[in-house]
This record gives sequence, structure tokens and C-alpha cells, in this order.
Amino acid sequence: MRDQSKRSLLPRWLTSEHPLPWLFPVTSLLIVFGLYPVLYSLWLSFFKRNPATRKEKFMPSWNWEKLLADERVWDAVQITFTYTLLALSIQLILGLAIALLLDTDKRGFGVMRALMTLPLVVPPAVTGMMFLLMYDSSFGVISNSLYALNLLSPTAPILGTGSTALWGVIVADVWQWTPFMVLIMLAGLRALPREPFEAASIDGASSLQSFVFLTLPMMSKIIALAVLIRGIDLFRIFDYVKVMTDSGPGTATETLTAYAGTVYFKSANFSYASTVALATLILVLVTSSIFIKVFKVRF
Amino acid sequence: MVTGKFKSTLRYLVSMLVVCVFVFPIAWFGLTSIKPISAVFNKDRVVVFDFEPTFENYRVTVLGGLKSDTKSNSSILMGTSGEGAYDGRGSILSSLVIAICSTFLTTIIALLAAYALSRLAFRGSQGYMHWILSQRFLPPIAIIIPLVFIFRDLGLRDTHLGLIIAHTLINIPIALLILKSFFDDVPIEIDQAAMIDGASRFQCFYLVVLPMIKGGIAATAVLCFIFSWTEFLLSLFLTNSIRTVPVKITTFVTSTGSEWGYISALGTAAIIPGFIFILLVQNHLVRGLTMGAIKD
Repeated sequence: MRDQSKRSLLPRWLTSEHPLPWLFPVTSLLIVFGLYPVLYSLWLSFFKRNPATRKEKFMPSWNWEKLLADERVWDAVQITFTYTLLALSIQLILGLAIALLLDTDKRGFGVMRALMTLPLVVPPAVTGMMFLLMYDSSFGVISNSLYALNLLSPTAPILGTGSTALWGVIVADVWQWTPFMVLIMLAGLRALPREPFEAASIDGASSLQSFVFLTLPMMSKIIALAVLIRGIDLFRIFDYVKVMTDSGPGTATETLTAYAGTVYFKSANFSYASTVALATLILVLVTSSIFIKVFKVRF
Repeated sequence: MVTGKFKSTLRYLVSMLVVCVFVFPIAWFGLTSIKPISAVFNKDRVVVFDFEPTFENYRVTVLGGLKSDTKSNSSILMGTSGEGAYDGRGSILSSLVIAICSTFLTTIIALLAAYALSRLAFRGSQGYMHWILSQRFLPPIAIIIPLVFIFRDLGLRDTHLGLIIAHTLINIPIALLILKSFFDDVPIEIDQAAMIDGASRFQCFYLVVLPMIKGGIAATAVLCFIFSWTEFLLSLFLTNSIRTVPVKITTFVTSTGSEWGYISALGTAAIIPGFIFILLVQNHLVRGLTMGAIKD
């Protein structure tokens, strides 16, 4: 009866019984500042910019053909995938190993687990700075340690040498985000049932066997989820590269997002920068959709 | 039992070593921030502890002291010129205002949407959730260029309000998914009981269910604050004169050299709020980082 009287005052879609008023603020914000810019990007990518006259002309396929023929794009795709796969595998393996190490209720381990989370709150730009300082070729603590161990020569600074620069950035990323993997893996380990492990140890399984045949399969869903979240964030990496190497030396660390940034800031070719950025988006969507389908990730 | 004891001691030592490796860069950065210039830039050896601690770097970057005072007895000259170039007070204030306002805005509008998605069954709710999720995975670079134009046309470029909106945009999907998982934890019978007692949907949300997930809301807000406080790309593209702390720090690196003392002082100061907050929300951290997919 109460509902009847309310319905007469307001149309139903304006009452709190209807999802519309609840979803309206979020939806409008995401459409205006999220969806519309993507479509705007697409629109921009259909214009050819003349660098001399700074005039733009509607030529829908121009930028996309340029993109496919641009060697820097293909290099950037390769660097982005290399970066993502290397950093992701290191973070996953380290994260799982450290989680296994810290997964105990013994004294002192709670504090250590809390300390492990600290890198997560450091602004990535500051992380970049921390590692720049430690990599410095004359007074950096990492560089000097490597000199002492004869693993590095002062003539080839870590971030200034093409073959090591990407690794320099990956180390910073691994430092900051391995704790993310550790936390998720710890949560997964803590949620495992005890019975299968007790049964396995009674049957004489070694701890390695129970890890491979029990822990890993039971954790597969959580591992897939962590890999998805981390993988997407790695793929759109920008902060570390911008701060630490600014895509250099040369273009040795130029990822797709960094290249889009370079086109935007240095040549002010907004239509082409949008095209590169959209290519990143397309690659992220395709790769993550395949991953979600194959590994059946659910949120 | 000797081997058991040995094993547990070894495990403890290895764990300590691992944790030290992960804490070291922060500790080193903090240590650098209180070193005098001569100790930071010592080219002969790495200075670890043998220096006179000084708070000069903090005086300049956090309290806005004059740079020239510190340089009077130093022969090293580098970095950007201008008296206020290393004054981080404006940046800290901007970062705080932007992080607090965007956290507030995000939490409120995400709460509304999360409640509806958790409680009101409607056609397309699954599709809506997928759309929200896809927003989380959208690379910011894909929207930033048009966003610069849109913001310019709306007069939001280089304003606090503009960055508040941008950070809200980035945080909404995360906050919404986390909050929905907290709402899902509250049995739906509670809503039904409240509504049988005569509460409207909104009263039920505001007076009954919200107080039950206070802890979850706090955790979500903390994560939003940290994401906004540490955000770099949007702030870099959308502002020129307003500089958030992460962007401000990168301006201390110049072609003539990097002011490591000032960088490490402002950088260390920028880490502290996050440290305090993350220790407060340890219990909900995993749920937050996985957007509610893993409950802890």
C-alpha cells in the first residue's frame, strides 16, 4: 500500500526503488570523461595533420596506415611485450616464493608481512627517483656495489646503456609490485583447506610434490587473477619509463604509452598520438579478453 | 628436532633478508634526505652513516625555506634557478586538496552505484559491471589527449577541480567494485526486514546497510586517497602550474644535474601519508587490490 501512494507522486524511475538514480552520477561521469574521450580519440585519429601548416585534414586511414608502417611502433610493441612478460614472470615467481616463505604464524612474521606492503604506497614517480639515485654512475649504491663485484663497468651506466636500461626499469617495477603478488598469494595460501595436505603427507608426498600437485592447482584461479591485473598495469607502463629513462637511450626503453607521450609532447601531433594511444588500448583489450577466456577469470 | 629448529631459524633469516631488500630503497632514500650535500655527492665512495645529519633539505622543500641559505658554504651549484623552485609547500597542499576531494567524491558516488548493483536486480546489470571493469583496464593514455582538449574547453585545464574529476574518474571503477563486494557481504534479509518495518530504499541504504560496512568504506577511501596521491600521468598532462607532489619532484631533475637532497626530502615526505594509511587498512588490502575479487 505504501508503494502505491509513493508511485502516484513520482514516476517509478525517479524513486529509490529504481536503479537509475543510484547509477546516474557514476554513469554520467564515466560517459562524459571516460567513454566520450575514447570516441574523441578515434575521431582525432581520422585526421591527417600537416606539420608545416598545422592544418588538419579528414583522411580516415592516414594515421592508421602510418601506424602500421612506423618501425618505432613495432619496436615499441616489442619492448612493451618484453617488459610486461619479463616483469610479470619475475614478480609472479618471486611473489609466490616470498608468500610461501612468509606464510606462517610464527613470531615476527606478521611484522615482516606488514613491512612487505610498504613499497606499494610509494608514488611510482618517487620509485623511479629512488632507483635513479641508486643507479647513479658515480655515487649510486647499486652501481658501486656492482662495480665492486666486477659485474658492471663505470663506462656503461645501467640506464645509459641500451642492453641494460630496460632491466634497470624492470628492477624498479619488480621492487614496487612484487609485494602486490606476495599479498595476493598469501591470501590464496591462507584460504587453502588443510585436509588434502594432511592426506598427502600421510601418503608420503614430499613438500615439493604437494606444492606442485596440490597448492598450484588450487591456487590457479587466484594466480590467473593476479596475472591479469598486474599484466594490464604493466602493459600500460608509463611512470617509470618517463621518470627514469625518458624512453632512452635512443629508443631502447620506449614502450607504447611512452611513444604516444613522446608524439604528444615533442611533435604535438595530437591525431597521431591518439592513434598510438588507441593502438595500446586495442592491444590491451585483445590480449586481456583472450586471457580472460582461456583462463576463465571471474570477478 | 635439531634439523627442525635449524630450518625455522633459516626461514626466519631468509625472510628477514628478503624484507630488508624490499625496505632498503626506502631507507636509503630517507637516509639521503638527511645527508649534507657533500655526503650525497661524494664521488670517491658511497657515504652510509658517517655524516652529520641535517634537515636543510626538508627546510627548503617542505617548509619553503630559502635555497640560498644552504648553498652559502657549498661550491656545488646546479639545478633549476629561482628562489621558489624547490618549495614543495604548494604541491603538498595541491596534492592534499585533490586527493581528499576526489576520495570524497569517488566514495559517495561509488557507494550509490555499488548499492544498486548489489541490491536492485535489473536487466543489463552484468553488462554494466563489465563496462565498469573495462574502465579500470583502460590505459589512461587512451583518454588523456582528448581529455586535455575537453578540459581546455570547459576551463578545467590546470585547475584543482579538473584533477579532482580526473582522479575520480580513475578511482571510480576500483571503488565501485570493492564497495559492491562489501555490500554483497551484508545479507539481503537485512534490507528486507528494514523495508518491512517501513523504511524506504534510501533509508535502508543510509541508515541500515551503510553503518554495517563502515570498515569497508574506510578501506576503500584510503585506497582511493593513495591512488590519487601517487598518480602521475594525468597530473603531468592536465596541469602546468598546479603541480602535484610526484610531478613536482620530477622537476628537480634538470639537465645540469639532479638535486638529490631536495628530491629525497620531498620524496620521503610524499611517502609518509601512504605508510600511515596502509598500516591502517592491512585487513582489507587484498580485497582492495583485487577489486573485491578476493575476500580477506
